Amino acid sequence: MIPFAQYVQGLASNDELLTLEGPFDVPPPVIAAEALRASGPAIRYGRTDGADLTSGAFSGPDQLQRRESAPWSRLALGLGLDPEASFVAVLETITRLGPAGDRPEPTYDRRAAARTIDGIRQLALPRDADDVWPALTLGVASVSTAAGTHWAPVHGAVIGDDTLRVRTPAALSSLLDGGTVSVALGVPPAAVTAAYLLAVRDRLEVPIQDCGVAERVSLVPTNGGLVPSATEVVIEAAVDDRHPDSRSDRREAWEYGTESTSMALSVERILATEDPVLPFSPLERPLSDDLQLTGLVTAATLYDRIDDYWGISPVEWVLVPAAAELGICVVATNVLYAGFEWQLANILFAFSSLFDTVIVVDDDVSPRDLGRVLGDIWVKAHPSRDWIFSEPSAPMADRPRYRRDGETGSRLYVNAAWDPRWDDAYIAPRVAFDRSFPASVRDDARRLWDTRHDGAADDENRDGA
Amino acid sequence: MTVDSFRGFLRCLDEADALVSFDEPVSWDLEASAITTLANRSDGDVPVFESVAETAVDASLVGDPYRGPRNRPWDHLARAIGLPTGLSGAAYYERLIDRLRSPREPRVLERDAAPCKDVVRTGDDVDLLSLPWPYIHRGDGGRYSNLHTVVAPDPETRWGRWSSHRLMIHDGPFASLLFLAGEQVPNRYYYDYEPREEPMPVAVVIGAEPVVQSTTEMWIPAGRSEATFAGGMKDRPVDLVPCETNDLYVPATAEVVLEGRVLPNERLDEGPFGDYFGYMNGPRRSMPAFAIDAITRRTEPRVPFCVEGTGVGYGRNSGSTLQLAAAGPDATLGLQAAGFDVESAVPWRFTSRTVWVISTDRPYPGYLHQLANFVFTTWGMLHIDFFVFVDADVDPFDPRAVLTAIALDADPDADFHQFGVERMPKVPLNIYQTPEEKGSADVGTSKAKTAKAYIDATSDGERANETADDDRRKRAQERLVTAGMSAARFDLLDGEGEAR
Repeated sequence: MIPFAQYVQGLASNDELLTLEGPFDVPPPVIAAEALRASGPAIRYGRTDGADLTSGAFSGPDQLQRRESAPWSRLALGLGLDPEASFVAVLETITRLGPAGDRPEPTYDRRAAARTIDGIRQLALPRDADDVWPALTLGVASVSTAAGTHWAPVHGAVIGDDTLRVRTPAALSSLLDGGTVSVALGVPPAAVTAAYLLAVRDRLEVPIQDCGVAERVSLVPTNGGLVPSATEVVIEAAVDDRHPDSRSDRREAWEYGTESTSMALSVERILATEDPVLPFSPLERPLSDDLQLTGLVTAATLYDRIDDYWGISPVEWVLVPAAAELGICVVATNVLYAGFEWQLANILFAFSSLFDTVIVVDDDVSPRDLGRVLGDIWVKAHPSRDWIFSEPSAPMADRPRYRRDGETGSRLYVNAAWDPRWDDAYIAPRVAFDRSFPASVRDDARRLWDTRHDGAADDENRDGA
Repeated sequence: MTVDSFRGFLRCLDEADALVSFDEPVSWDLEASAITTLANRSDGDVPVFESVAETAVDASLVGDPYRGPRNRPWDHLARAIGLPTGLSGAAYYERLIDRLRSPREPRVLERDAAPCKDVVRTGDDVDLLSLPWPYIHRGDGGRYSNLHTVVAPDPETRWGRWSSHRLMIHDGPFASLLFLAGEQVPNRYYYDYEPREEPMPVAVVIGAEPVVQSTTEMWIPAGRSEATFAGGMKDRPVDLVPCETNDLYVPATAEVVLEGRVLPNERLDEGPFGDYFGYMNGPRRSMPAFAIDAITRRTEPRVPFCVEGTGVGYGRNSGSTLQLAAAGPDATLGLQAAGFDVESAVPWRFTSRTVWVISTDRPYPGYLHQLANFVFTTWGMLHIDFFVFVDADVDPFDPRAVLTAIALDADPDADFHQFGVERMPKVPLNIYQTPEEKGSADVGTSKAKTAKAYIDATSDGERANETADDDRRKRAQERLVTAGMSAARFDLLDGEGEAR
């Protein structure tokens, strides 16, 4: 288990963290949004008037710009992987945090948040420029049932020192029978990822004792339910109102595809570590942490469902890029036979309601190379034959902004993979360093170029899923 | 500072610390191209190969000289024409469009005042293979010149028509020119000169000054002259000089000029070649034969070339940069002059000659159809397959903003418009048609037609504001720069971290 505070230190060691010291004359969510927009590192906000904050901890660079790291590199570190781990390794690790075949053996530890604080305002949670209330984001809600503890993502507004208005998946709200919930802030990356995964997979009824995350994260009981023992801040609260007015609230990205509901909470006790550091996400801003997390757990879910779906595993990877606001799904595959791409696109539509556009690319395309995907869809795909629209009777997708009236419409998949019926002679070779020059020329060129250019590492598009 | 020659441009790059020289012998046979590929994909300095092995003339090769910095590809061109560097894409377009609104007639020099006449070879002294033409990709049909200006006669302007057509070197005084019907100069050849069985005089200008290379990439309407727009672009006249063997005028400071004739009913092999869309394009075709009558050049000429195919995806090269930094402002001006309410017309970041993004208002129903109709029947006809229309307040220079608009605002049910399903002409520079579909039509276009499409990614209603106000954003950016982030990453700051 990697506690959140330790994760932040790891980001610093990995040159993925920039520390700013307060005071701040610009709200941290504005700074966070600009850092994300510029593909910057995670930001730590050192403060004397509240808990330290961190933004971008679960996000990463814009995939529409060539960068050395990928949007999932930081999370890989938080999940105990090498930041250079393959994308598929990240997806599979995320999947293993969810419902497990064999009941895991949870481990328990003492609570890191041992200090009681008087009011939530002491934390000085961040408030965006136009917001009325400070916001808590990237939290994990914990509730208990007879089956065990259930986790779900939670975010909301700090209405008063002892009053919160939060949003959680409706499925979690329906599980509540005791009227008590714990909100954990600053949990290990594996825990918040698991909460997102359970919400996106619609498996909130599965207690975390039956999920892989229980083997990776030590737990401790609270009034609401089990939370990670290494949680930075635990808020124990009673549910006051299950339907408060929340029309003005921002949304976390998991809500695009998961029904959510509001609750008013009355804070009963707040526990914190000595020097808590809390993550936050600038909600509804491009490339925000919640958007990246939702994209990754959605991709992991889809990859898990279609891998081996046809008895074999032709699919290399599935990507739901935050850079496209989760409105497009990209899948790399070996097109087994003519028409397979149709099956694949439509099974993805069946397994997710987020998007109604799917892009199919060949299995040799790297998930790090979204630039190639966004070239191939226009270059390899025939403008009429390979842009395939369904009849206009599909339900509307959840994420797009168009057609919010519930009317049915078309789905689209773009086939940017080679047609398996084509002769090999039809397949145009790519222009690429490794393909356009023989090995001896490549070696000489690298040798000469490296004598002039400092940065041999940046000339490679890293391959591999 | 405004440069007047290609070698002046190289000095300009050098002063900006953006040039790297290779004194050791480098082969024209793939090696120069391979090194340039590494430079292109690492955003490195522009390589100059001073000593090219196995070349009779003491000449240099220059790999993708017009490739600009990845974050602001227009910066080098801006510096070369005396505009500030560090401009945003929108500001650069605005400044360049201002220049293009005031074309200037060129100035004609005497032959002995033209550097491009330092060495003159005609008749039997013409030796095309004395120059270091690069062999660019393994699998290419031959050695190529592909970063040049083809000057051809035009009945409506004394200065001729400038355009770009790749040229494959053959032996002796011959080369083949990729002439694709539908473009202005090839049309003149196929439908005017060739039916009259008359050779078309042509000059191929290699290593012209930057404004010449830039306007070569523009779509200048019939009756207007690229030469005058080149003068407008640099805010003073371009110097031209008469050819030795025909009536054409060529840029006087060019490094090399090939004067000759495109012969009627004579074809030579052309291709395959790894072209701008990032894949090898074949099969080998027959294309008009270019017979060279004279080679004039500067001493120790610098021969630029483009590693085509490296300007797709995340990559940049001269071709993609010139599309963005020259063709884009010209297209924007052209659409505005035609009465359309466009903010900017910008090539798509990842494949600059196949897709363009146009940010625009929609003043009346049917406007986007009308706009698509205009562009698909003019400069967007042969190469460009897609246009993406976004709201005027969406930044077309930001591919993430454009992709978001496509993902969230382009309804598959209503916003994807096929424009003449499989009724449109297409150049064979594509890989989605089979070799049989491409065929080998006499005039260069594919035998099979294709479709064109436009995507209406404009919003149907109010978009949520995804940014704070500019003042707060700017202060946030300044705070991040103070803490160590590079100012070059931020849209509201200049290169020094100061507010624009």
